[in-house]
Amino acid sequence: MRILLAAPLALAASLAAQETGVVYGTVRDAAGHPVTNAAVAVVGTGLRTTADPHGGYRIERIPAGRIVLRVVALGYTAASAARALAAGDSIRQDFTLRVGAIVDCFDCRPLMLSPIVTTAAKRPQSLEEVVPSVALMSDSDIASRAVTGIDEAVDKAPGVQFLNGQINIRGSSGFVQGLGSRVLLLVDGVPANQGDRGGINWDLLPVDDVERIEVVKGAGSALYGSAALGGVVNLITREIPFGFHARLRATGGSYADPPHPEWQFRDFTGTHGGADLTSSYGTDDLRGAVTVGGYHSDGYRQQDRRDHWQLAGRGDWQESPNTRLTVSGSWASDQYQVPLAWCERGTCDDRGQAYQPFKIDTASLGNRTRSDKGYLTAVLAGTPSERLRWQARASWLHTRFTDIQPKSGDDFGVADRYGGELRGEFRPPGDGVVTVGAEAGLSDIASDIFGSHRQAEYAAYGEGERPLGKAQLTTGARIDFLAIDGGALTAVVSPRIGAVLPTGSGIWRASVGRGFRAPSLAERFVSTTVSGFTVVPNPNLQPEQAWTFEVGHARPIGSAVRIDAAVFWTEASKLIEPSVNLQLIEIQFKNVTRARLAGLDLAVVASPLTPRLTTTLSYTFLHARQLAHDGVPQQPLAFRPRHLLTMGADYALGELVVGAEFRYASRFERVELAPLTDPRVAARVLNLRAAWNHGPASVRVLVANALNYLYSYAPRTLEPVRNISATLVYRY
Amino acid sequence: MRPVVPLVAVACAALACNEGLQPVRAPSSCPTSFVGICGTVRLHGTLPDSTDAVFIVAYPAFPKSRNDLFLFVPLPPPSIPTSDSTYFYTLAIPNGRYEWLVAVWKKVGSFAIDFSNADSLLREAGYYRDKADTSKAGVVVVNGAGTDSINIVVDFTKMHPISFYFPAAVRP
Repeated sequence: MRILLAAPLALAASLAAQETGVVYGTVRDAAGHPVTNAAVAVVGTGLRTTADPHGGYRIERIPAGRIVLRVVALGYTAASAARALAAGDSIRQDFTLRVGAIVDCFDCRPLMLSPIVTTAAKRPQSLEEVVPSVALMSDSDIASRAVTGIDEAVDKAPGVQFLNGQINIRGSSGFVQGLGSRVLLLVDGVPANQGDRGGINWDLLPVDDVERIEVVKGAGSALYGSAALGGVVNLITREIPFGFHARLRATGGSYADPPHPEWQFRDFTGTHGGADLTSSYGTDDLRGAVTVGGYHSDGYRQQDRRDHWQLAGRGDWQESPNTRLTVSGSWASDQYQVPLAWCERGTCDDRGQAYQPFKIDTASLGNRTRSDKGYLTAVLAGTPSERLRWQARASWLHTRFTDIQPKSGDDFGVADRYGGELRGEFRPPGDGVVTVGAEAGLSDIASDIFGSHRQAEYAAYGEGERPLGKAQLTTGARIDFLAIDGGALTAVVSPRIGAVLPTGSGIWRASVGRGFRAPSLAERFVSTTVSGFTVVPNPNLQPEQAWTFEVGHARPIGSAVRIDAAVFWTEASKLIEPSVNLQLIEIQFKNVTRARLAGLDLAVVASPLTPRLTTTLSYTFLHARQLAHDGVPQQPLAFRPRHLLTMGADYALGELVVGAEFRYASRFERVELAPLTDPRVAARVLNLRAAWNHGPASVRVLVANALNYLYSYAPRTLEPVRNISATLVYRY
Repeated sequence: MRPVVPLVAVACAALACNEGLQPVRAPSSCPTSFVGICGTVRLHGTLPDSTDAVFIVAYPAFPKSRNDLFLFVPLPPPSIPTSDSTYFYTLAIPNGRYEWLVAVWKKVGSFAIDFSNADSLLREAGYYRDKADTSKAGVVVVNGAGTDSINIVVDFTKMHPISFYFPAAVRP
């Protein structure tokens, strides 16, 4: 009897199995790490599971046909995939989750923003667990700004200000004439500051290849070493999706003419435009993407034309569920004219004006630069167990410039920066994480003004995190050894200690850390003449150093508003500045300045403030003082605004989103090398924007500096005028 | 809150503050709140083809030797245009007494490391003269404001090399 009953049941089960299929795969984050406990569901059915510690999942007995899979995980944007599942078949579907909003259900109603950041501790963390202050920009933030360059995208981040292409985080750098950034740039975690001048090429990557930007404020040398004196900016590139995809991005626009007839300098309207095309193909194991593009700009000033060509690529090989190799690279070539300084009375056809901000000093007529740069990086990452992750990387950054100066002779520089790093992340039994690593780098330069030199860097670092009562305590340190041209090693130790304390009203964080910046090879060895002065090398320059103290608090208000405030205090010493010797008629870079930078950072995001309105506000108060030294009294640090305010609002009307953003930077209290006319004003810039998204296409319009407000940051350098641009993006 | 309120607030704030750089006529007297020296430079003679620039500098004390020649302000020295025959200059320098306000002509070329070629590259092209005795250099005092009418005549036909003032230091 039992056999008689069992037979039809087995038959029915067999038939049912023939009508169903299996889906399996992995869920990983952008760095290739498994997203443990990610929830995977087949939409429209009750079938769901969670990813195992290796990120793997498997769902059986799925009705055959067209299915939609959806995966959600805390701190990540939900992802979906539509597949055709044949009866009796099994298919693999891998997911790569991007950092994003927390979701609590499969209909994806977002709760509070609590993104994952990877830069602050060299590993993925929830923003609420991070010890230093971090500003984030997602690809949608970048897209909504309709910018054409990464520097424009970073510029409006809270506490960040660009001065003539040089980044300041909480007033870290001021304007350092292009030599020695006090901010470290990373591309997917790989250092990318120039090997010779220490500066940053913001055009290294196409802006649309960047998925997310993380800005870590304050000294970050405990993990990143030199240049992370004032902060770290990490550009995180896009993951390559499964299947074939393409993206075309075309942009075009025009610059406003000078608003006053006496400032007219050309008889046509300047335009700009460009396009880039990305195509990618991904399988279960191999994925690749290539972007090519070009851009031309007439510029908004005299002698301001620019041509830019770009090629970037990336390949991923998922060798096994636990091991992944990523190779990425980029090459960019720029040819641009150099509008060094605007015309003052008598240095051009001034039309009786004290200065002509759109015209240049005729002494620099004909100056132009050719700049080529590129990088190549290979990263091998593994997760052998849920308690251990490791990563090994090798990188090469190449920069070459030729300054063509008809009146004073050409200059050139070639720099190669090689780097390698081995890092491990351990999660011992119980709570806690330990990150340790070793890093090595070599900068090799050849230049007519910097000479031929090498700088070797070796470092070891470690940081541990463990609970202490309700708080999470972080301690770590890094030791760097520097050697120039094979000489003696200079050691720099950079410790950091911090804590995060969740309370009922929000999260408190506090940290103390030390940062440093090794002098660039250019600062050590520059040998040239400027305005009749001989610039002489100083091989004995020592690293700049700074201690940063910070206390911050983040709290939600309701379900849509988040406030983050921090007070910070930085004591810097041995800051490198050009020192003028009148007796010898020479200029030399020296460790001369002690400085104090204290202030307040405030960021408020209301998303949404009302069902259709998103608003943001950020404000930085900065008290930056150069302390008395060598008979020089205490005075304001040059090129630092006391107040920096950014307000933004975006309103959604169906597929159309319109918005505005206003940036105010108070007038610098002090500048150096001020022109005779020194027309310093506060910066008040209004940007208007609109975006229309319809299926695979989107159109964005940006009116940057809509009021055509004219101002300058660096001496005799006009900041961009009104610029209207339209960008079309089509995705396949 | 009505949704449009923040948008309007942003626009209003921006509009209310729109006062950026504006055209400024070249001055004909010292600007308000300016500290330094102002006046007119009159150019006589033909500008030499080998001209690199003409600078105006001020010496707190008249140089007593070649070693004092670079004890001037301001730094870096501003150049003046040579395209017009008359030029109103402003020289921002600190408060103090200045014994020699001089226009320096520089020939195209670079200085040697030890400035051994300074004699061939630099010329005194004119200086502010004492109104009572025009054969002497006039003294200028800057005291918290602009000192006006400090006029200089630059004569490219009567320029003097450094050796004119310090012949003993001429190198073989």
